[in-house]
Amino acid sequence: MSTSFPSLFPGMLLDAASRYAEDHIVVAIQGDPVRELGWTATLVPEEAGGVGGSLSDLASIVEGLATHGLQLPVVETCAVVPLLLQAAGAETAHRWLEAVAEGSVQMAPLTALSATPDVNAVTARHLDIGYELSGTVQGVDATLPATHYLVPAQVDGEDAIFLVDAERIGAPKARYRTMEGRVGADFVLAQLAVPESACIARGAAARDARAKATDAALLLTAADTVAALATLIRQTVTHLKERRQFGVALSSFQVLRHRVADMYVKYLGAKGLVIHCFNDYEQDAPDLRRTLRLAKVSLAESARACAEAAIQMHGGMGVSEEVLATRTAQRLIASEFRYGDRLLHVAYLLALAPQASAPHVSFSNQTGSVR
Amino acid sequence: MSIDYAGFRRELESFVRGACPPEIRAVVAAGQKITKREYQAWQQILNAQGWGAPSWPREAGGTGWDIRQRLIFEEVMAENDCPPLYHHGLGHIGPVIIRFGTPEQKARFLPRILDGSDWWCQGYSEPGSGSDLASLSTSARLDGDAWVVNGQKIWTSHAHEASMIYMLVRTSKEAKKQEGISLLLVPMDTPGITVRPIQTIDGWHHLNEVFFDEVRVRADNLVGEVGKGWTCAKFLLERERLPPANVARLELMRRQVTQLVEEASRAAAGLRDFSGLHHKLLLCEADVKGARVMMAQATDDLIHQRPLGVQPSVIKMTCADVAQRLTTIALDAVGPDAAHRFLAEAGDDVPDATWIQNYMFTRARTIAGGTSEVQRNVVANELLGA
Repeated sequence: MSTSFPSLFPGMLLDAASRYAEDHIVVAIQGDPVRELGWTATLVPEEAGGVGGSLSDLASIVEGLATHGLQLPVVETCAVVPLLLQAAGAETAHRWLEAVAEGSVQMAPLTALSATPDVNAVTARHLDIGYELSGTVQGVDATLPATHYLVPAQVDGEDAIFLVDAERIGAPKARYRTMEGRVGADFVLAQLAVPESACIARGAAARDARAKATDAALLLTAADTVAALATLIRQTVTHLKERRQFGVALSSFQVLRHRVADMYVKYLGAKGLVIHCFNDYEQDAPDLRRTLRLAKVSLAESARACAEAAIQMHGGMGVSEEVLATRTAQRLIASEFRYGDRLLHVAYLLALAPQASAPHVSFSNQTGSVR
Repeated sequence: MSIDYAGFRRELESFVRGACPPEIRAVVAAGQKITKREYQAWQQILNAQGWGAPSWPREAGGTGWDIRQRLIFEEVMAENDCPPLYHHGLGHIGPVIIRFGTPEQKARFLPRILDGSDWWCQGYSEPGSGSDLASLSTSARLDGDAWVVNGQKIWTSHAHEASMIYMLVRTSKEAKKQEGISLLLVPMDTPGITVRPIQTIDGWHHLNEVFFDEVRVRADNLVGEVGKGWTCAKFLLERERLPPANVARLELMRRQVTQLVEEASRAAAGLRDFSGLHHKLLLCEADVKGARVMMAQATDDLIHQRPLGVQPSVIKMTCADVAQRLTTIALDAVGPDAAHRFLAEAGDDVPDATWIQNYMFTRARTIAGGTSEVQRNVVANELLGA
């Protein structure tokens, strides 16, 4: 059956992440595996001590973890953080990227998991001796400890990015477990004073970096969804073949066979769409964001349908969190709401001038993986 | 030598934009039914250019293009509102004659397919054997220098317009189901053939029942060996498992329906809420993008002679599903105005009603060519075992 689910991002990074996830799936997370395993260096340029890798490299790690159902904030820590940092001036960016790559700081974005990094939840006011930050950021990923936060904000109608010590930000107002098993937290910044140097980027640089971080987050979440879909179907197939009812294997009932076939068709369609997105990203397609929003909406539809079908086909076991398929279903549904839900993206898509996207043929990549 | 696919695409675009008559393009652009008249005229133009048979080898009068070139060809045709190639001659029986036919059969039939002289239909399905094709019972017995055919075929597209039918007949009842079947080429004007139209839900006439009553067919019109017709049938089905036109035409349909919804939305001036239709169109757009990648991957597998597995089934199901959803959207867009004027009197123009016909016609997409239930079985067998 492995031939039915070829990897999207094959390679050593996938294998390593996959092995790590398999070994730690039922063990509570200790320490900071994302930084200990060096994954924060993936997107950091070589001159800043990083690996200088691509988004596809990071997607390998995302896929490996999703395949075995392990939840770690890789997208936030390894993609959003370095991409936001690169908006800073060369010296500042270099210094902090180096620290991120070597793991000497634990940096996280102070952004809501449900919103894209280009959304302003925080407003900054420029004072004589620095800035004052105000706003509420709900649902920040707090799975791993943080020493610093990157805070996207708006200053005088401009986009900006602030780098603030975690101590200064203070404790969250509330903490909770997220649907898919991460730790979430709500932060309230009430006229929080920060020094002038905390503003590491403003204007076009900040806007571009936040846009890049948003694209990356949408792409990687889509990769996570496709990997999780593969796992969900594999688990469901195994269950149907092993579980017996009325003296026969569940897999002998045509209604269930057809339901799994429908899931598989949705999975292949979703996979094709994600490959299309990565191709557009690599070719810097002018309508990349539109395509990513489209993918977000479509993947949400497929993922929820498959999650619901898998829960149903697992019967009573389908509602037990002990079962990997159930946790994967939770992951898929939670991913729908990460970085903007389908209603938000549909709103954007429909608000744009209707345009029939120019058809084009891209045969640059035919291998079934995106590399 | 590597092929310059981008240059190939430009060459095609340049030709079709100049060569395809506006009146034919208008029919395609409007989503109207493409009849023998448009198919034949366009086939003749393409043939004069040397592009009459994209999927055939050069020695048989084809282009010798690889499947990626064929895919590009279909996309360019769809993007420029040109009719697809008529599949029964070029895609189905032509390749079978090239593979299994005698030199005399090749000389007699292939040029007439290329230049559009012969219009073929397919006699496979019977009232008692649809998906279970091997159970067919229309018989042929050898009588001197002729096969004598008796029986009935059904769901025969274009039989009323066709000059030839290729049909599976049972030449022996003694062997197993798949054996004792032969492939016969029969002129439609042979005495004893009766074509009776089947009135379909779309209001167009394309399907027929065809009755054979002591129909005498010259003996050398049998293709391949006697009793080995199943081999030819399988060859035909396998060759056409990945019709490149499906995905290319889907994108054309999506653009047409998008335009329709935008126009209907403007015309409704806020009196009807089209946001749900716009939302559904977005999902279709995403699915078409996914299908294009699936098709490209399957194409790559074919070129590199890797097994296709369930890809043709998945692509077929996806295309059928999206086509049905698109025409359902179109139905909602035009329904209130068009439903009560479904079929126009001759000469009257009711363009919106065409979409109602298209909606009805597209119901067959999940039935014809192997129902979606059969395709799901194929996929399920791959995942779960038989």
